[in-house]
Amino acid sequence: MHLNYLANIGRYIPEILLTILMVGLILLETTYKEDEKNRRYIFITAIIGLVATFAALLANMGGKAEAIFSNAIVIDDFSTLLKMVMVLGTIGAVYLSRFSRDVYESLKTEFVIMAIGILIGGFLLASANNMLTFYLGIETLSILSYVMASLKKNDERSSEAGLKYALYGGISAGLMLFGMSHIFGVIGTIQFTGIAKMVPTLSPVQIAILMPSFLLFFAGIGYKIASVPFHMWSPDVYEGSPTPVTTFFAIVPKLAGIAGLVRITAIFFAVDSPLKIGWVGLMIVISALTMTVGNVTAIGQKSVKRMLAYSSISHAGIMLAGLIVMNNVGIRAVVFYAITYVFMTLVAFYIVSIVQDKYGNDNFDRFSGLIYRYPFMAVMMTVVMFSLTGLPPLAGFVAKYNIIQSLINTRNYSLAVVLGLNSVVSAYYYLKIVRIMVLKPQENNETIEGFGFLNQMVIVVMTIPVFTLGIFWETVMSWAGNAKLFIQ
Amino acid sequence: MAGSNCLLSLILWMPIVGVLGVLLMPKDKTTWIKAWALINTVITFALTLVLYAKFDQTQAGMQNAFNVSIPWISQFNIFYRLGVDGISLPMVLLTGLLFMLCILSSWTQIKKSIKAYFALLLLLQTCVFGVFFALDFFLFYVYWEVMLIPMFFLIGVWGGENREYAAVKFFLYTFFGSILMLVGIVALYFATNQSVDSFNILALSGGKFSQLNVHMFGQTLSFSKLFFIFMFIGFAIKVPVFPFHTWLPHAHVQAPTAISVILAGVLLKMGTYGFLRIAFPIFPDSAKYFSTAIAWLGLINVIYGALCAMAQTDVKKLIAYSSVSHMGFVMLGLSAMTVQGLNGAVLQMFNHGTSTAMMFFMIGLLYERSHHRWIVKPDGSRGYGGLYTQLPVYSIIFIIGMFASMGLPGMSGFISEALIFLGIYQKFTTITVLALFGLLIGAAYLLWMFKRMFFGDVNPEIKGYEDMTKLEITYMIPLCVAVILFGIWPSPILNMMKASVGQLASLLATF
Repeated sequence: MHLNYLANIGRYIPEILLTILMVGLILLETTYKEDEKNRRYIFITAIIGLVATFAALLANMGGKAEAIFSNAIVIDDFSTLLKMVMVLGTIGAVYLSRFSRDVYESLKTEFVIMAIGILIGGFLLASANNMLTFYLGIETLSILSYVMASLKKNDERSSEAGLKYALYGGISAGLMLFGMSHIFGVIGTIQFTGIAKMVPTLSPVQIAILMPSFLLFFAGIGYKIASVPFHMWSPDVYEGSPTPVTTFFAIVPKLAGIAGLVRITAIFFAVDSPLKIGWVGLMIVISALTMTVGNVTAIGQKSVKRMLAYSSISHAGIMLAGLIVMNNVGIRAVVFYAITYVFMTLVAFYIVSIVQDKYGNDNFDRFSGLIYRYPFMAVMMTVVMFSLTGLPPLAGFVAKYNIIQSLINTRNYSLAVVLGLNSVVSAYYYLKIVRIMVLKPQENNETIEGFGFLNQMVIVVMTIPVFTLGIFWETVMSWAGNAKLFIQ
Repeated sequence: MAGSNCLLSLILWMPIVGVLGVLLMPKDKTTWIKAWALINTVITFALTLVLYAKFDQTQAGMQNAFNVSIPWISQFNIFYRLGVDGISLPMVLLTGLLFMLCILSSWTQIKKSIKAYFALLLLLQTCVFGVFFALDFFLFYVYWEVMLIPMFFLIGVWGGENREYAAVKFFLYTFFGSILMLVGIVALYFATNQSVDSFNILALSGGKFSQLNVHMFGQTLSFSKLFFIFMFIGFAIKVPVFPFHTWLPHAHVQAPTAISVILAGVLLKMGTYGFLRIAFPIFPDSAKYFSTAIAWLGLINVIYGALCAMAQTDVKKLIAYSSVSHMGFVMLGLSAMTVQGLNGAVLQMFNHGTSTAMMFFMIGLLYERSHHRWIVKPDGSRGYGGLYTQLPVYSIIFIIGMFASMGLPGMSGFISEALIFLGIYQKFTTITVLALFGLLIGAAYLLWMFKRMFFGDVNPEIKGYEDMTKLEITYMIPLCVAVILFGIWPSPILNMMKASVGQLASLLATF
């Protein structure tokens, strides 16, 4: 037993690497004098560490899926692929934090350390195979997020964001724990697969108890991915937090939550039962609501960051729609969506962040006539906005198309139509920013320091996948298709 | 025939070569950019003429000599499939011709961001060709949607005062329609069990779905009828069919001249082309079932468009509404589903393309001189008046365009409208009689406009207007020739489409 426990530790290298990286960075940060040179070294170390983690994950890809640590953690291609996507998002956010003025110079190292900590939580969540690990993942993710949101110490809105996040997070974590204890009480195990095995044998009374318990369980995770009705915190937190933090929040916790949700959905509700019907029904309603509320509320926003926050709510809704399908086609669509979502989100937030650093706020009119000053950047932003809308031949279209396809495959026509109509609604506010950038006359000739050559190149490189995944998506699609869940 | 095989791809991608060339040129060398764009479109037009020469007019359906079929995303059975038949060929010729003339017309009229303008215009041309050539549903959808991007900017950047509103409205309307179409495309994909031919427009045709049912919104509905309606809305917004027409007057009035020409001349036809290529062949039973409704919608278009046109004081808006009215005739021809009706509809698509393009060009030229388009200004005074005495050449060309648009015998519009009436008379007698009033109103609003603008006392404001320049006359001549020639001798175009249209009509007749 003892030996068995560490038998497959080799598959756990990415997480171990990240932990070493995080602890090492804390030690470095506390040991050495705080100045620009040392900060740069820490930044470089972090990037190297993250890239190494990415490489370790890549090495894990395609290997035999297995459960380790007494079945507490599952290493399969699905979790590995999503972890890779999360690492990409983290690298993007860390790089952004390096030159963003929204994060205090003295706190940049802290940002990096916390981001890596949250990433570890995300890894746990994506791999969790019992309720305890799941909860552990969510909490690791959350507690650091609260601190991160209030990283702008002297800013009222940032503190508000942190407090709000903590309050909402605390309550939903409590609800989730309550739901979990009910599930444990009824079924007697915390193992996901053990629970799944018991589901068909339950009596009607037990099912009646479990239904609300699963609802409570969902509350915890629904809050992490900001699905309606647990989304209220997200716009305030997104707007109040420093932009690199917002970028990070829009990617890592959200995708980790989606990954966890995919796993529990696939395990618990694989067999037909009243629970499954209830869960799918709930998910359909929540997905439709999340998309619609996110999109409709985004229309009226004046701050671009807040608009992107609402738009990310609606994208979570679309990913939930892929989840409802409950088969490999749906999971493939969700994974592909996650991959494209990372690139689009990164580009959008980079540009917003740079413009915001220049002017101190990110109202829409700050973008007016951007095309005359920075044609390349305006074109990239336009591409990403069209991609988020879902126009071919861009990645966002293919992603949405695959979700619609998997919905129609399982005869969910109504949700497919709702998704489609939501794209039209979203077109309005995505076009708004394109309109302001391209159609409005140039107001001034000011240069924006953030758009140096290097950053422009980084943004262009991040936009390339948005193009290529829209035209040649076969390879990435088959990766996503091979990223199967391992259920044990 | 390796040469013919790549002909379609060559026509399709030629404008993209143009886009790349334009992008590589320095911003301030505007003459180079214009000349390059012109050369590019001339070559493209020449290639479409080569296509016409090689086209076998006796053969119905897609001509194997030109077909292209290359796997694109084989995992999903998506192909790069192109083809041409008698229905798409007239549209392809029209596209080649109009884009070439539009480059000439934009030569002096476009003054800001010339590089971006010509790049977008050429990009638009590729998308339009793509729609007319595509035989793969996914490919078709991609071109159909990508087209929104250049159009959005062409209206939004180079348009009139209210351009942003018009551009957004155009975008959202069309996007809404195409989303419904997308749901239909995916539904077809699964209805054919995701086979190799699941996106093949030709393989889907023939009414294979008349027996299927579908559960949606808690009810059992006929698959064919439901998705026919989805596709219908998608295409109807483009045509535009009443009540989806409200984007059109805004888009037309705000768009720069060349873009109005493209919009009226080619883009509207993509909607009716969609019916002919996709909605009717794939769901013939539902097309038959809804034919009366389509006919009534067409009639509303004809009458309502004409009455709206009559009420306009902005001459460009007047022509925009006349497009609504004329596209109504196309819808009437389609609803007949007989050989004459469909022939008339396709011919009307071509003829309306040339005559409306002429009208929009002419209005653009007038706007260049007067910087307004009011027949009657908002304060009640005359906008023009007595143009005939001041601008004789302009007036003559305007008259030719106007009469073609009105459908005067001997001009192109007459033949197609006559064919449409022949086609629908037996089926919808009442509608035919009512639609004839549309012709009457059409003559009335055009002549009334003409009277107010060209006759009467010379408005002092118009003195000093220059008559048409040589360049302007040059690019109007091909259209003048087209509207007169095809009025007297329509057989080149009728012969082109006869076999293919006959095939479609006989398919529809079996349901």
